[in-house]
Amino acid sequence: MLWRRITFLQLAFGALGLFGQNANSRWWAWPANPDPQAAERGKSVFTAHCAGCHGAKATGTAKGPNLIRSRIVRKDVDGSATAALVRTGVPGKGMPPVPLADPEMKELVAFLQWTLQKYDRVSFGVPAETYPLERLLTGNAEAGKAFFSGAGGCTSCHSVTGDLAGIGRKYAPVFLQSRFLMPRATKPKTVTVTLPSGEKVSGELRTINNYDIVMKDSAGQTRTFDAQTTKAEVQDPLAGHIALLPKYTDAQVHNMFAYLWSLQ
Amino acid sequence: MTRFGVIAGFLAIVPLAQTQSPGEWPTLNGDYSSRRHSPLTQINKSNVGQLTQAWKFRPNAGVIKGTPLMVNGVLYLTVPDHVWAVDAATGRELWHFNRPSRGDRIANRGVAMYKKWIYFGTPDAFLVCLRADTGEKVWEAPMADVHFGYYMSLPPLVVKDKLIVGISGDAADVTGFLKAVDPVTGNVLWTWNSVPKWGEPGSETWPSAEALAHGGAMTWVQGSYDPDLNLIYWGTGNPHPVMNGAERPGANLYTCSIVAINADTGKLVWYFQPSPHDTYDRDATESVVLIDGVFRGRQRKMLAQASRNGYFFLLDRKTGEHLRTTPFGPQNWSLGLNRRGEPIPDPKKDPRPDGTLFLGSGTNWYTPAFNPATGLFYVNAAQGVWSLTYLSAGIEGEPEDHQGGREAPLGGGESSLLAIDYQTGGVRWKLGYGNAAGILTTASGLVFTANSGYLVGLDAENGKTLWKQNAGGPASNAPITYQLGGKQFVVVSVRDTLYAFVLPAKP
Ligand code: HEC
Ligand code: HEC
Repeated sequence: MLWRRITFLQLAFGALGLFGQNANSRWWAWPANPDPQAAERGKSVFTAHCAGCHGAKATGTAKGPNLIRSRIVRKDVDGSATAALVRTGVPGKGMPPVPLADPEMKELVAFLQWTLQKYDRVSFGVPAETYPLERLLTGNAEAGKAFFSGAGGCTSCHSVTGDLAGIGRKYAPVFLQSRFLMPRATKPKTVTVTLPSGEKVSGELRTINNYDIVMKDSAGQTRTFDAQTTKAEVQDPLAGHIALLPKYTDAQVHNMFAYLWSLQ
Repeated sequence: MTRFGVIAGFLAIVPLAQTQSPGEWPTLNGDYSSRRHSPLTQINKSNVGQLTQAWKFRPNAGVIKGTPLMVNGVLYLTVPDHVWAVDAATGRELWHFNRPSRGDRIANRGVAMYKKWIYFGTPDAFLVCLRADTGEKVWEAPMADVHFGYYMSLPPLVVKDKLIVGISGDAADVTGFLKAVDPVTGNVLWTWNSVPKWGEPGSETWPSAEALAHGGAMTWVQGSYDPDLNLIYWGTGNPHPVMNGAERPGANLYTCSIVAINADTGKLVWYFQPSPHDTYDRDATESVVLIDGVFRGRQRKMLAQASRNGYFFLLDRKTGEHLRTTPFGPQNWSLGLNRRGEPIPDPKKDPRPDGTLFLGSGTNWYTPAFNPATGLFYVNAAQGVWSLTYLSAGIEGEPEDHQGGREAPLGGGESSLLAIDYQTGGVRWKLGYGNAAGILTTASGLVFTANSGYLVGLDAENGKTLWKQNAGGPASNAPITYQLGGKQFVVVSVRDTLYAFVLPAKP
């Protein structure tokens, strides 16, 4: 249930969270629900016979139109309309007849429908692990190094020979870039509450909102406090990183990435 | 002030539903103004704390995101493909209509009522007319082609003898529209395309006919109507490809816009564009709230929107002239305002292949509310959220998909209920731990919404919590209120259940 995992903050932004609901419900059954294996085989048929004009992803080139947006393909309930068009071509319009045997034709249509569904399903989302390094490596590692030990103040909490040794190897490049800006904490947030009596209680923060404060105290006990009558102070181990975000320019982000990436 | 047809005075202006009595909730947002403000006062600041559950209705059909209407003692409630008529006093089911369909069933926001019929949209983009008394289908008519990813999540807006229909679903790079439909026959009377055709005014803000034909601008949140000016107001969605602006240099009209449309002709009268040349999915579809009041010493007919891009806009709704543009949270993408009062996006902050550090604030479909007595505009919003944004264009620079980019959320920021002074655009107070829930205000000075995962009743003046109810999660629709049999009800859904709250019977 995706909607449980996405926060309200994300709801305000990405299309992913537009309606805050299970993503699976979004995928309408297409005329045909293509068999992924047939689609995979159809990919080589498409690459061999069609991609030259319609593009590797069927999104079109100067020699042939975008097939994702094709009315014929979209409305093709059983694949027959696409197959008929491919067999006859579009005489005089640059679309040659492509005679394919039935099994190949079926796989080709499966590939087109699968590609189309994949396209429509894309929405706001995080970049894939495979996001290419060369797109990210635009900064200057030396400048990143200078920022690390200078204006960035990173050395007050980190050392590139200690906790950050080999950090360039630890994550996929695009994830490294997110992680150095906003790491995942290995230590929990803690909270100190001041009771009406003046007594102070500290523990690991479980929940905090306008009405409830829930913590695990030092004895391992879960304790709940009324937030309306209790003063609470939260300590976030990542406060240092949140405070850093407004200090970065985009160039400094890319310099820092280049530097941390070099720590292989 | 019955100008917008405060519920009691509504009949005088427009016969929306035939048998209205004071205290009904006859349209999605209560009346034409989208203020979500009720004149009812039985539940007030001193007794709201005693609210107790009167009944619950659990149709067992998934999360209820639809906001019900209440007319003549009957609630009409939806989830995609389904409509229920429910006794508003007891929560007992009167009838149920089910029309299974293929299409995007992410949400259905509710029904509209005209005379003795009710209307709702379907996942396969049909408009369906039912008899209000029996739930029998009278007609259905396609509004768009589901094969291109279109679907309907919102009910039509009833304007005189027309149903104004907006459309959802832009995954296939299609374009949006508003249609006026004859409530008796289902025939389309006019269509306003939310991106113009090539050669029409506005098309000069697009690079090519091809870009324009796939430009987006869905109309998926319900608009408002001013009977005196005979103007329909609607917000439009973002352009496509969503994050790859290089594919479509220009302002990309009428995406991310607030438009005023003549109700009889379907012609554009004015527009204002909250996000010219958007590259961040900042659609301006959020409620356009009509406000009548004094601005800089002059009585004005105004329109306000707290927009997805983190700005509060106040316009003169007769002319579209901008009166206030005020950010309601920090951002790092705007270079200031143009002469029309629209934010100027910084091209350096567009998504890039190596990642752009983006800071933004905003809100979304969950309906805001306006209380004329406090002069406050209430909206659940996010402030100061960081992310890294990536342009994912292909090798030849073409967009890889309709999204055209990716976003890695970083964090920071907070979500809150904001009470915005419409005169200044400034936040007068805020309540943290906000939820993505709709809002209701009442003439007794209350605000109902969800916060911290509770259903809450707040003091409209200062946000003080006067009532809270743990119903297992925040509201999944927008609260409504109505009076029936001498009792005022507050009705709201949490997940798959609709709850009704009333004051306890006097001992
Ligand atoms: C030599 C270039 C070329 C090749 C190879 C080619 N096409 Fe086409 N195709 C075109 C052109 C050009 C059009 C547009 C014809 C027109 O204007 O009606 C087209 C049109 C189409 C259409 C109709 C699109 C629409 O909605 O009007 C489909 C479907 C299609 N091609 C599929 C294929 C498939 C599948 C293959 C491989 C088996 C293929 N084409 C191979 C050039 C090509
Ligand atoms: C105030 C202390 C503080 C400062 C200053 C600080 N960090 Fe961190 N950093 C942390 C904490 C805490 C973590 C989380 C580590 C954990 O919980 O194990 C972290 C994690 C990281 C990580 C992820 C390590 C991993 O293995 O996942 C990277 C990379 C990093 N920081 C880079 C930086 C850089 C670059 C700077 C300077 C621009 C910086 N930090 C400044 C406290 C700090």
